[in-house]
Amino acid sequence: MAKSRVTRRQLLVAAAPAAAALPLAKLALDEASAAAPPTGHEGMAMDGFSHAAMIGDDVPAPGGPNERDALLHPPRALARKPGRVREYSLLAYDRVIEVAKGVSFSAWTYNGSVPGPIIRATEDDLLRLTFTNAGSHPHTIHFHGIHPANMDGVFEIVDPGGSYTYEFTARPFGMQLYHCHSTPLKKHIAKGLYGALIIDPPKPRPPAQELVMVLTGFDTDGDGENNFYGVNGPAFYYAKYPIRVRRSQTVRIYLANLTEFDPINSFHLHGEFFRYYPTGSSDLFEYTDTVMLCQGQRGIIEIDFHNTGRFMFHAHQSEFTELGWMGFFEVVD
Amino acid sequence: MPLLLLVGVVSLFASTGTSLLDLVGGAPPPRDEFHIRRVEFKPGEIRIRVTNPQRPELTIASVTVDDAIVPFQTDGPATLDRLRSSTIIVPFQWVDGDPYTVGVTSSSGIETQFAVPAAVEARGTSPRGFLGYAIIGLLVGVIPVALGLGWLPSLRRADARWLAAFMALTAGLLSFLALDAFAEALDLQARLPSGFQGTGLILLGVAASYLGLTFVSQRFSAQRRQGGASPLEGVALATLVAIGIGLHNLGEGLAIGSSLALGELALGTFLIVGFMVHNITEGLGIAAPIAAGERASRARLAALAIVAGGPAILGGWIGGFLTSDLLGVLFFALAVGAALQVVVEVGRYVARRAPGGLRSGHVIGGYLAGVIVMYVTGLLIA
Repeated sequence: MAKSRVTRRQLLVAAAPAAAALPLAKLALDEASAAAPPTGHEGMAMDGFSHAAMIGDDVPAPGGPNERDALLHPPRALARKPGRVREYSLLAYDRVIEVAKGVSFSAWTYNGSVPGPIIRATEDDLLRLTFTNAGSHPHTIHFHGIHPANMDGVFEIVDPGGSYTYEFTARPFGMQLYHCHSTPLKKHIAKGLYGALIIDPPKPRPPAQELVMVLTGFDTDGDGENNFYGVNGPAFYYAKYPIRVRRSQTVRIYLANLTEFDPINSFHLHGEFFRYYPTGSSDLFEYTDTVMLCQGQRGIIEIDFHNTGRFMFHAHQSEFTELGWMGFFEVVD
Repeated sequence: MPLLLLVGVVSLFASTGTSLLDLVGGAPPPRDEFHIRRVEFKPGEIRIRVTNPQRPELTIASVTVDDAIVPFQTDGPATLDRLRSSTIIVPFQWVDGDPYTVGVTSSSGIETQFAVPAAVEARGTSPRGFLGYAIIGLLVGVIPVALGLGWLPSLRRADARWLAAFMALTAGLLSFLALDAFAEALDLQARLPSGFQGTGLILLGVAASYLGLTFVSQRFSAQRRQGGASPLEGVALATLVAIGIGLHNLGEGLAIGSSLALGELALGTFLIVGFMVHNITEGLGIAAPIAAGERASRARLAALAIVAGGPAILGGWIGGFLTSDLLGVLFFALAVGAALQVVVEVGRYVARRAPGGLRSGHVIGGYLAGVIVMYVTGLLIA
């Protein structure tokens, strides 16, 4: 930039007197020129305050411990009982949330959080969801799964002040999800209207330590690119507050990607492999440590930790990792 | 009395809050963008100087380097009032010569980015640096001007028409410098937050130096002629030329100093030689009016060289250690006013003293030659 400030002051003729000054010029250059600095930049300026230290109290994550447990721990699975009604009520409203330490975001929420609440049912339960729109824009809830056309949340737009009751039989089992389907779609999802819908199989899954992880992104300056990424919301939250799990029992993660703008997101676990059941709708699994998901893609992860200690999990897109999508498991005996 | 009434009306308006403004539509939300003034690379850390350019306060919430959130500290408050600044310190193992983009995100989520084409270590204030800028200033400012004064004996032998041509060349050279400095000032002010009113600052600088020098030259000629409004000549005119050139070199020194400090300028040997040869013409500009008048002592000549070239040293220090775009604008504006005033003064001299006045071929040719010399020198390294 400032380079242009001096370009005018240049010269042509080689003047004899000037040449005499060359040794002096050399000396001056050695003093003040901005040529190559010494190699290596050892020594941190501040103790305990380094780039690698995205762990513990230094991590810039908002909120306190356990504040987000309702979005992390799903309600318990119930055994199959045809004809049972599972009722939920969802309220859409505008709310300013903290998506990274000190950074607020004008979100559109279901029940005040991004992602919205975890909805859970067993296959063949009758799901009845009362939806009220207390927000400033028309919204809907669109569910993934099998249901009648008028329960799909695409044509039945709910204006502000309005409400709608979605009622359908929960199926098929697996990790499903829900999100607003009003247009502009991109805006309604990016603003935060989405959440996890777990449908349990008729034959219950084996007991496990169950977690829900919805991959989120926030475009705080409206330029069509996410500024912050995270699991179930704020950047770096589970880096600051690692998730404690026991080694003795399987860890089951209901994973869904609802990041807007980016074509894909991913989940990678350090120091361990896991079984990945795409969409969680069959017994087929892949044994891996990295899965890739496009928007709306989801699945179930089952981890049997071999070791105790602190293990990182994060998006295997380095950019997302360093913009907040990372966390730790604290595996204990 | 009108002031009291104004206070009354203002307080009455303020008491209505925004209700009157709401009649004509809502105010847009603040932009919440920072003004990133400079990004400095030090061993193991990056320093980002930011200013709040808007009326509402602005809070530094998150900092990224190449789209990665990094821990940071600030040397001042994280919440900045209007036109206040803080330096963000990021511990970072940067790679020499690599491009970096830093981002500063406000608490409202707006990210301001600043791209650095190549990371180069910034040298801080040190006796060595102090000496370095002094030597550079000496090389590009004082020495060439002093050498240029060496043309004085030959100029004295020149006949009146050629002397007038050299005077006109001085005017052409200074006209070029004035326009050059004006462009620099405009460029620089465009980067300032609008709250600083860069264009007003330019006018202030131009007017202050033009009128200030007019006043000084008036005093000179009053001393010499007991009140007669005759044009300056000889050493007095040369002093004025030296002041004009000196103010320009102050701006140049500032630009060189800040560019060097930010690692944006590779000041090679060729460039140094370029500056030196270039500034020899400035010495010629000072020599021409002296040649037309009575003899001047060596001490006098040395003083003139220091007046014209010394500010390059001062500018180097200020630019290297402070780096303020605001000062840069002001200095370049001062240079514009000074150069213009000297052009006018030289013009008056030539009009009265030169054979054939301003319309002679020698004068017109000399003026154009002055501009062309500067233009061609500019082509070389630009």
